[in-house]
Amino acid sequence: MNLRKRNMTKIMSSVALSCVVFTSSVFAEEYPAKPISAIISYGAGGNTDVGARILFPNVEKELGAALTILNKPGGGGWVGWTNLLNSKNDGYTIGYINTPNLITGYLNPLMKRDKSLEDFDLIANHVTDYGVISINKDEKRFTNIKELVEYAKANTLTVSTTGANGDDHIAMLKMNQKFGTKFVPVHTKGSAKQRAAIQGGHVDVGFSNVGDTNNAHKNGELKVVAVMAEERSNFLKDVPTLAESGFPGVVSWSARGIAAPKGLSAEQLEKLRESFIKGMNAPEHLKKMEEMGLQVDIKTGDDYKKMLMDEEQGVIELKPILGW
Amino acid sequence: MGIDFTVLSSVIAELASFDVILMLFAGVIGGIFLGSLPGLSATMGIALLIPITFGMEPVAALVLLSAIYTSAIFGGSITAILIHTPGTPSSAATAMDGYQMTLRGEGLKALGTSTVCSVIGGVVSAIALLILAPPLAQISLKFSAPEYFLMAVFGLTIIASLSTGAMIKGLAGGLFGLLVGLVGVDMMTAYPRFTFGKAELENGISLIPAMIGLFSISQVLMQAEILHSAKKKETVVVELKGKVFPDKKDWLKIWPTVTKSSVIGLLVGILPGAGGDVASWVAYNEAKRGSKNPENFGKGEIEGLAAAETANNAVTGGAMIPLLTLGIPGSAATAVMLGGLYIHGLKPGHELFTQNANIIYAVIIGLILANILMGIFGLTMARQVVKVASIPFYILAPVIIVLSVVGSYAINNNMFDVYVMVAFGLIGYLMRKTNFSTAAVVIAMILGSMAEIGYRQAIVMSKGDVLAYYFSRPISIILMVLIALALLTPLLQKWKSRKGIKV
Repeated sequence: MNLRKRNMTKIMSSVALSCVVFTSSVFAEEYPAKPISAIISYGAGGNTDVGARILFPNVEKELGAALTILNKPGGGGWVGWTNLLNSKNDGYTIGYINTPNLITGYLNPLMKRDKSLEDFDLIANHVTDYGVISINKDEKRFTNIKELVEYAKANTLTVSTTGANGDDHIAMLKMNQKFGTKFVPVHTKGSAKQRAAIQGGHVDVGFSNVGDTNNAHKNGELKVVAVMAEERSNFLKDVPTLAESGFPGVVSWSARGIAAPKGLSAEQLEKLRESFIKGMNAPEHLKKMEEMGLQVDIKTGDDYKKMLMDEEQGVIELKPILGW
Repeated sequence: MGIDFTVLSSVIAELASFDVILMLFAGVIGGIFLGSLPGLSATMGIALLIPITFGMEPVAALVLLSAIYTSAIFGGSITAILIHTPGTPSSAATAMDGYQMTLRGEGLKALGTSTVCSVIGGVVSAIALLILAPPLAQISLKFSAPEYFLMAVFGLTIIASLSTGAMIKGLAGGLFGLLVGLVGVDMMTAYPRFTFGKAELENGISLIPAMIGLFSISQVLMQAEILHSAKKKETVVVELKGKVFPDKKDWLKIWPTVTKSSVIGLLVGILPGAGGDVASWVAYNEAKRGSKNPENFGKGEIEGLAAAETANNAVTGGAMIPLLTLGIPGSAATAVMLGGLYIHGLKPGHELFTQNANIIYAVIIGLILANILMGIFGLTMARQVVKVASIPFYILAPVIIVLSVVGSYAINNNMFDVYVMVAFGLIGYLMRKTNFSTAAVVIAMILGSMAEIGYRQAIVMSKGDVLAYYFSRPISIILMVLIALALLTPLLQKWKSRKGIKV
């Protein structure tokens, strides 16, 4: 009984002490003075979520505050982004923004969203996953990107994508627009089914991303014939870019980075940017992301803004084809 | 890629570490617990544990994740059987007969049968993963849009057989489920259907909150009504002295069903995008169709329970086959595990079974051990756990409600899903009062969107000639024959018996 009492006193006093520490730190001037919530617009265990969970411990060290992940999946990401935009812009709620879903989500008039990039304070880009074009490993009609494009000009070819209006679909439409290919989309629910469709030969061509396709290419389960990027990918060094194969002008990616609802103070924004950049450059973060097959692509400030603006422009140019 | 006995010793060495054994126990106990709570699914458990596994050895980490996966699916059945509250969608079919057995006072037997069948399903699928992974993975790639469409239609025929005696009501329930499945952004055109400008509706109405409402909340409301009217006190006789292990008579009866359901579960498991929820219903339907007394299904038939329970656990090893060989996850939970593999530097494919053979075979053997351990826990716990069914309802009801609210919220961290759960609870209550089948709604929700997507993808893939496309695919033809049989058998039987009476 006595022992229990003594223990209780100990616990109570330590609770009281931590309360004092906590409140005093809240009233301190320095930002951040309490944990920061990070909204992830996709489910726990998805690529964005896992990437964040790898990154955040490194950022927390720089920031001196905890980053608490809140998964808010739904609406192709827009449940989370609506939540983020409706949060207080006091620097204690940030979130991942994923393109092109963010951009197509507000540009699509059907969705009736009066939002834009202007509603966010951009902190830093984290990952850019470029698009790839792949074919079945036993494909005979075409074996490289040149033959594929030639064949697709004369014949209708089915293409598996990871979803309507996603980056794969948009890249496919751009190909049709620029090079006169006759690709028709077969949309699937996510990368597993997208890849099963091309590996099983259910469709003629697959449009996907480096991150979820490079391992299958290395294993010879499918053949990546082109990367839709300015440069070859570190994860697919043997695969040419579209431009070097003679098809310039189609670059596709899905990117994700950190943003906050507009209106953070300059100091807060600076602190967040600095901490995230340092955290992203931490070797253990880079190593784990490499194992995941994800291309860390650190951009901040105007660079990040320009990247997103360019992407927005790309979607705007496709409005007639998308029927918007 | 068969078993290489030279790696056997290193596999044993990997498994015989303190960490691995600790994780095995943690995974099994944690999984059963997680699974038994409505809304907290295997997928969520794995997702939340992945960051914790960053610092572990790969074998320990993956044994933990796969043990959670298989045990959570088993755990979901415990509450389905005892309080008509399926812990995961995979256990919805279990609730059909399991709960009726509990009402009859056979809760202990139901739990024991469920445990034994889960272990058999799990072990069979893990052994298939061990020795048949590459050929089965190739079969999974043979399934394309037309096959998914036909398989969904085949599954949907169960609605007809669930509603014997009240066909119109059964079909109405099914149609309502299909209608609910239409809500959300259209897969093929990205058109927002029935979303009313709510971002929460764009991914459709979530299955888990709807299922919790239809099964658990409606159950609470029904019971509350009985309690309130006080015409009869709820008296669930709990068999505390009976046997946990199914006796020889039952065993002989369920044996063919268990075999068939293991195969069904394994096959559905290897298909990307179809998991335990689909497998359990397909197996249930098949058991009913093959049974001598199908009229007992839904009234506490041990065969129905055995079918659902074997199949949903047979999915686990099956779903890991395309995951490990092709990097294509066979279910939602294994999709999350894929991230776990990559983080530990394990790339799915041939390399995994050669360069990392000691790791991956240790994980597979670990999965078998997890299933056995799960069985031991299940059987020893049963006598204690079954007492849940004898807890007075006025204590149980608030607990179920709280768990349902927390579970619905936890899926997407969103209050909207809680409202969905409440709405479906009321709908479910009204349906049950008027003798509509709530199971039909859940089945149609599970299979409806699968059918729609498959149908529409197949039209694009066929490049114009849809019929020729379907008939050029052998698996499609087999499925079409199965559907025809499922639809025509009852008619034929009726016709035969009528003729019999006349003669």
